[in-house]
Order: sequence, then C-alpha cells, then structure tokens
Amino acid sequence: MYQSLLQATAGFYLLATGAFILHLFSQRESFSRAGQWLLLAGFVGHAVKFVFLFNDAGFPALAQTAATHSFYGWLMVGVYLTVQLQYRLPILGGFVAPLAFLMSLRSIALGEPGLETPPALLTYWLPLHVTLALLGNAVFALAFAVSVVYLVVRRQLKQKRMSGLSRTVPALETLDRLNKIFLVWGFPFMTLGILTGSVWAHAQWGNFWSWDPRQITSALTWLLYGILLHGRLTAGWRGRKAAVWTIAGFLIVLGYFLWGDAFFLSRHGGRFE
Amino acid sequence: MSEPAHPVPHQILVVGVNHRTAPVELREQLAFPAQHVDGALQDLLTLPSVDEGVILSTCNRVEVVAVARDGNAGVAEIEDFLKRQPDVHLKPTRDHLYHHARKNAVRHVFRVASSLDSMVVGEPQILGQLKEYYAIAQQAGTVGSILHRLFHRSFAVAKRVRQDTGIANRPVSVGSVAVDLARRIFDRLEEKTVMVIGSGAMGEALVRHLVENGVRSLMITNRTFERAVELADRFEASPIRFEDYGRYLRLADVIIGSVESEEALMTRDTAAEVLRERKQDNMFLIDLGVPRNFDPLINDLDNVYLYHVDDLADVARENLRGRESEADKGEEIVDQEVEAFHRWLTSLDQVPTIVALKRKLDEIRQGELRKSLESSLKDVSERERKAIEDLTAAMINKILHAPLTRLKQRPGGDADYDDALRALFDLDEEPGQGRPPEADQDEEQLPARLPEGRPGRGTVASAPSRRRPG
Repeated sequence: MYQSLLQATAGFYLLATGAFILHLFSQRESFSRAGQWLLLAGFVGHAVKFVFLFNDAGFPALAQTAATHSFYGWLMVGVYLTVQLQYRLPILGGFVAPLAFLMSLRSIALGEPGLETPPALLTYWLPLHVTLALLGNAVFALAFAVSVVYLVVRRQLKQKRMSGLSRTVPALETLDRLNKIFLVWGFPFMTLGILTGSVWAHAQWGNFWSWDPRQITSALTWLLYGILLHGRLTAGWRGRKAAVWTIAGFLIVLGYFLWGDAFFLSRHGGRFE
Repeated sequence: MSEPAHPVPHQILVVGVNHRTAPVELREQLAFPAQHVDGALQDLLTLPSVDEGVILSTCNRVEVVAVARDGNAGVAEIEDFLKRQPDVHLKPTRDHLYHHARKNAVRHVFRVASSLDSMVVGEPQILGQLKEYYAIAQQAGTVGSILHRLFHRSFAVAKRVRQDTGIANRPVSVGSVAVDLARRIFDRLEEKTVMVIGSGAMGEALVRHLVENGVRSLMITNRTFERAVELADRFEASPIRFEDYGRYLRLADVIIGSVESEEALMTRDTAAEVLRERKQDNMFLIDLGVPRNFDPLINDLDNVYLYHVDDLADVARENLRGRESEADKGEEIVDQEVEAFHRWLTSLDQVPTIVALKRKLDEIRQGELRKSLESSLKDVSERERKAIEDLTAAMINKILHAPLTRLKQRPGGDADYDDALRALFDLDEEPGQGRPPEADQDEEQLPARLPEGRPGRGTVASAPSRRRPG
C-alpha cells in the first residue's frame, strides 16, 4: 500500500525530472510548468502516503531509514513549492526533482516500512527532531541548487560565452541573495534539529553527545554552514566563495544520506540500543 | 465573350520596397507617416481592382498589402499609386519595387510580422509597427474580412515564431549586449549606478541603452570638465571632475571606460581595493578604450566582470549567428501557417451559397447583355462592347462585395444569411437560362433548404455582423 503510493510518487518525481531536463535543453516554459505540476502531484501523493502510514501506525513513525529518506524528499519538494510561491525559480526544480526521486528510490529499495516504532523512540521527540533536522537539510538542498546555478552563470559571464541557460535564470545578484536567504532559514532549523536530538538523547540515554557518525557529520555541516553564515553576515563573503561552501556542506549531507548508513552502525541507521 | 464567366477569386497582393531593394533616400520619399496614411488608404481603395488595403511604412520598408479582384491589374495600379504620391520625386523603378501574389504574398506578410524579413532578424519593433498600421487601416475602413484574417493570423504567427524559436532572445548590438549582461549580473538596474569615464559616441550610445533599460543614477567624468557637464545635462547625470573620479569608483556598479590614454585607468590592484570598499558588491566594467582602459587581469578577480568592446562585439556576432540558425525554424513555422491560411482562403470561394450567388448574378448579367447586344446595342464598336462588359462585371462585383465579405467571415457557418440569400435570390432553383451547368454542378444540387419556418429567421435583417472590421 505505502509502497505503491511511494512508487507512484517516485514516478511523478521522475517525470518531473524529465520535464526539467527538457526545459533545460529547449528553454521552453511549458516544460518547466509541467515539471512543477508533476512535482506538486508527487508531493500530494507523497503526503497521502504519510497520512496513511502515520494513521496505521498510530504514531508519526519516522524511526526507520525507509521512512526518513522519503520524508526528506517530501520536505525538499515542499520547500521548493513554497519558495516557488514567492520567487519564480523553476530551474531549482531541476535539482529538487531528481533529489526527491533519489530519496524515494532509496526508500523503496529499503522495503516496506514497519509500523512498529521501537519503544525507546516512541516519543514525540522523534517527529520533532526528525522534522526540524530534515527541514534544515531540505532548505540547504535549495541553497545548494542556487549555488550550482550561480557558479555556472558566473563561469559563463567570466568566460564570455553565454548560453540560453543564463537567460532563463535570475541574475547573479539574485542567486547570491537567495543563497543567503536559504542559509538564514536553513541554519536555525538545523540548529534546532541538533539541539532537540541532544536533549532527547540526554533524556533517553543520559548523554548529550555520543560520537554517533550521524552526529559527527551533522556537527561538521553545522559548523561549516555556521562559518559561512557568519562570513556572509559580517565579513562580506558572497558570490563564488559562498556558493562553494554551500555546495560542500550539502555534499556532506547528501553523502551521508546515501551511503553513511551502509558504513556506520548508528542510532540514526536503525541500531537503537 | 471570352472572359471567365464568374468573378475571379480575390487575390492577396503585396507591392512595395524594402531595405534590400531600395536605397534609403527612395524609402524616405515613399514613406507614409502614420498620421498621414489615412488619406492614402482612401486613395488606395479607389483603385479599380483593389477591394481591401493596408499600408505599412517603416524606415526599412514601404509596402501595400491589398486584396485585388485582378492580380496583374492590381499590381500595376498599386505600383502606379506609389509612384504618384505627392512627395515622390525619385521614381521607383522595376528594380526597386517587388510584388508578391497569393501564397507568396501571405508568406511575405507572415515573414515581415515574424521579423524574418528584417535587416536584423528577430528585431522586435516590426510587429508593433505592423499592428499600428493595421489599426489605422481598420479605422479608415479599408480592411475587409480577408486582410482582417491575414493580419490577425500574422500576429499569431509572429508570436509563435518568437516563442518557439530563439530568434528574438539574443541581443545583437553592442549596446543591447551590454544591457543583457548587466541584467544577468544585477537584479534591478533601477537601483544601480553607472559611471562613465571619458566621452565618445560609443559610450554615449551605451549610456542611452542603459538609461532606457532603467538605470537612473549616472556619474559622468571627462578630462574636460565642461564636456562632462554638457553630457551630464543631457542625461540628467552628475558631472564629476576628472581628478576626483577615483573617489567615486566604489559607488559605481557599472563603469564604462572610454578614454584615450596610454596608461590604464584601473589596474588589478585598484579594482581589488575598490571591491573591498564595496564589500565585494558586483561590478561590471565595460572597456571602450583603445588601448585598454582597464587591466584585463581584473577579470580574474571575484565579483567583477570585465568586458572589452571587442568582447561585446563577439557576443553580438555570436548571437546574430544563433538568431540566423533559429530563423530556419521560423521559416518552417511560416510555411505551415501559409498552407493553413491558403486552405482557409480557398475554402471561401467554395462556400456553396457564394458560388451559387455569383453564378446567378453572372447569368443575369450575361443574359441581359446578350439581349441588349442583339437589339438596342447591336451597333456598338468592339471597344465599346468590351467597355460595357467590363462595366457590368464591375457593377456586379461591387454589389457583391459587401454580402460576400459578410458571408466569408463565417464560411458555411451562418445559416441565417445563407437561407436569406437562397430565398431572396431563388438560388435553389435549377440553374439554366442559357448557360449549361458546369463541373461544380453538384454544389447547386445540394438538398434544397426550406427557409420558411426556420427558427431565427426573423433576426436576419437585424443580425449584427459578428466580426465587422472597423
């Protein structure tokens, strides 16, 4: 049931990815519009899946990686659609759609999520912590996307070889400002995500910090984004430098999501002692 | 009587001169300024073959688009019409004037509207000019159903070409390339400050482009301060003394260098310093100087984009090439649209009521002619006989023009008019009266419609024309 809903969702995300790729090559607006509607369709299907899942479990069952990965993809699309209301940035869909597809695929590969939540995690700290942390990372996904676009456009302007792409995306200045806006919004969520995790860990296991691999990578990205944000707000960091840092931070996040659990045993990977 | 029995179908014609066929002096003389075109349009419609007409006049072309009853006569009359305009002293010759008829005329109008026929392919002004002159003709009442459809179609074709091909979205002049680049760097040009160092025609043109695109804050400096003041007055800018401009550099988002000087105005170090003062706010430097005003190494710094005028020209050339390859896609679209339009046009003359009505009136004309020519007019000369024939044919055409126009607006679709005409002219009866039925006989043997008692008949007389042009 959840699986088929998730598969349908992944299908929409894949179609949306295709539409955005077509948009990139043809520069036709109709494709990016189609992509946005497909993402919206995926988002709704995805939301329905969570409603059923949580309803059947009687609890926001976000303990298992199968659920969190797809939840992350869903949040990304949600943040993208929200941003879309304010700024017209269809190009970001070209990043969000494949990422959401990837996350859904990962989730499908992990199999049907169980309805049981381990007793140790059966507390509302779980959805609170997971949602805040993932929301922060979802906003950073968009910061990553604008940063990549920024670097591409900047490179074209420096080399004086323009393509159709830089005509359909916002000005460099706008992209840079968006990088800052996403950073300013994403960072507090991430901070709260880490804080709720620590407080909860302290309440549950008696220590704030346990050198869990997930904690280490989170701390690393938090530090990285923190330095970047500080640099942006006080030292006039911007443009290429900010873009490169943003991309680096997100690659750590993404890398851990895709491969971290395979290498490390951790509470975040399903080992709840 | 060797002439065709019924009126020749109408032809769309284009007659005119453009930037490829005629020199600018000639085009200037032929030009019809928008405020004076009204009278010329009325004159145009007095030409015996011309039923509808639109005059288009821009600096690159002067064209008459017309619907004529007779193609050859129409072209000759319109050429003559152009030559006898009051201000025309240089007479256009055969080499200057071109003409297109039927499908080619349709294609020409579509290509003009889509800017495929322009000097700079894809330039956006032509569509606006076409719309303006079309609106004037519509006001003047010289547009009928065919030109109405032709022009509205051409606007749609232009839109399609613009949207589906890249012919319009690449700037092809140095000035527009600079504006385009500025837009890719800066969010809102309205909030940006431009500094111009030195003067020169190129610099001025660039400033004009930037101002037209929203730039409001402008600083101008020159070695001769008076010159700076003079330029500043023209653009409502702030003049700055040459000794002082260095202090203002950090305020400028766009800096145009246009000074003849052996020494660079800005070195890499100066630029780095200015950027630091600006907290790395983006800068766009445009170097119009020979030798260069700005050290090329500045482009290696972050957050500054340095373009020499040669770079701008390269981008413009590249874009023009791009536009021209996109133009091929535009031609394909035009070809499709020409075919579609042509199908519509030919379908008009096959509307059964129209065919029947034309035949009926022509039968009457020929019958009466024959009677008269055999009796009261039997002594007229061959020339007079021809004149009488032409006269009667012209009368019938004139009488038919309005009703046919009305009918053609809704080919096959307006049953009220259809029924009324069939009833009023007895069109459903067997053809005959001296002329044997011909190939399109079956059209007249359509099942007879009975006008009596049809709902809606009472509205015939007052039925408003739905798309009456003008």
